[in-house]
Amino acid sequence: MREYGTVTAVDGIDLSLARGEFLTIFGPNGAGKTSLLALLAGALRPNRGQVWLRGETLDFGEVEWRHRIGVLSHQGFLYGHLSAEENLRFYGQLFGLSDLDYVVNHKLQHLGLQDRAGSLVRDLSHGMKQRLALARALLHDPDIVLLDEPYTGLDPSAAIVLQGVLSDLKDGQRTIVMVTHNLTEGLALATTAAIMNRGRFVWQGKRAEIEGDFGQFYHGVIEGEE
Amino acid sequence: MRNYLKQIRTILWKDLLVEFRTRERLIAMGAFVVLVAILFNYATDWARVSPEDIASGLVWMTIMFAGLLGVGRTFHLEAEDGAFQGILMSPVPKDAIFIAKALANFVFLYIMALLVVGVFIFFFGLEVGGSFGMLTLVIALGVLAFVALGTLFTAVSTGTRMGDTLLPVLIFPLLAPVVIYGTGATSQFLAGRPVTEAEGSIRMLAAFALTAFFLGSWLFRFVVED
Repeated sequence: MREYGTVTAVDGIDLSLARGEFLTIFGPNGAGKTSLLALLAGALRPNRGQVWLRGETLDFGEVEWRHRIGVLSHQGFLYGHLSAEENLRFYGQLFGLSDLDYVVNHKLQHLGLQDRAGSLVRDLSHGMKQRLALARALLHDPDIVLLDEPYTGLDPSAAIVLQGVLSDLKDGQRTIVMVTHNLTEGLALATTAAIMNRGRFVWQGKRAEIEGDFGQFYHGVIEGEE
Repeated sequence: MRNYLKQIRTILWKDLLVEFRTRERLIAMGAFVVLVAILFNYATDWARVSPEDIASGLVWMTIMFAGLLGVGRTFHLEAEDGAFQGILMSPVPKDAIFIAKALANFVFLYIMALLVVGVFIFFFGLEVGGSFGMLTLVIALGVLAFVALGTLFTAVSTGTRMGDTLLPVLIFPLLAPVVIYGTGATSQFLAGRPVTEAEGSIRMLAAFALTAFFLGSWLFRFVVED
């Protein structure tokens, strides 16, 4: 559970995710999706409850578990006055990565940014920044990836690149949680889906259980709750 | 330990690089220092007071106000695109983040403090003579104390609505020892007194600076952790 003053952002969510699972969480604005992701990332402390990672309680005092989590927020965590390459090098050094040259070049290439490696981030388009932010989130090869609205503001071609990268990530070795408003893109890769409203999961199920028009089902669930 | 130092160096280098590219703080502080010295020069009746009597107080107050301009922007660039959240989500201990940010502030403010001394020597016709080395040490200790408190309290005030107003209110009462002992030692040097007469002030300043630095690095986690 997580509260902000009198507002309960996340309320009694009991969630268990296995390796290889891709959970997409849908929900209206203010449903608590981003707060839930921040709790899972260890960026927020729960007021009540715990986050477990491979059988161990997430300890805020320790930093080692951060090696295993990659976060793509709707903010890129990038420095506008550093180049794309400098940003990745900076985070790579913070994560203590060895063979940084190879890792940075590989990520830039993988995300189609090798031609803009030397460009300052403030000069990149939104789509390029988003791709760079994804490269930053995946730089240390995390086995848990948390994605907050990754498709926001992307043009169709950038969205296709992102879809491809996320598809590559779904290799059965990682656990991925994505928060999105976009029903089509959200369901495309999900193995599990959940609908969140007012801090709670109001529906949760396997992707295979979703039949018919999910949009209609989604709106029905939300309206039923409200 | 090696990784810890590397992480400090990485954040410090990033802060210096970003500042030397934007020159936001250095230009603001530099212009402030020169203008203040010119105004003090015209505002002082040289027929009634001698420069040595008032210069040390004016030097330290100028350092304090210029420092506030610079330190107050410690987390402004970090707020851009949520970059500070990116650092907090990387496996860097909070005290390492504090040390790196404080050291970056130390570099900017020490350069500025030496400019203050130079400008006052020029406008007030001061003679430091053989004590210049000791004067730079006293200024270094005072600046270290200032940046330790400044970095900590900027982290406190940045997240608040009245951040810029709140910072001086929080920090100035705590800076009293810096002003008292810094001014005491500086006035001895400007009066051409032997170093031994300033030893007590230097020791107190050193003790205060180190205490502020260690306390700051310990308390920082409570400020930035949710």
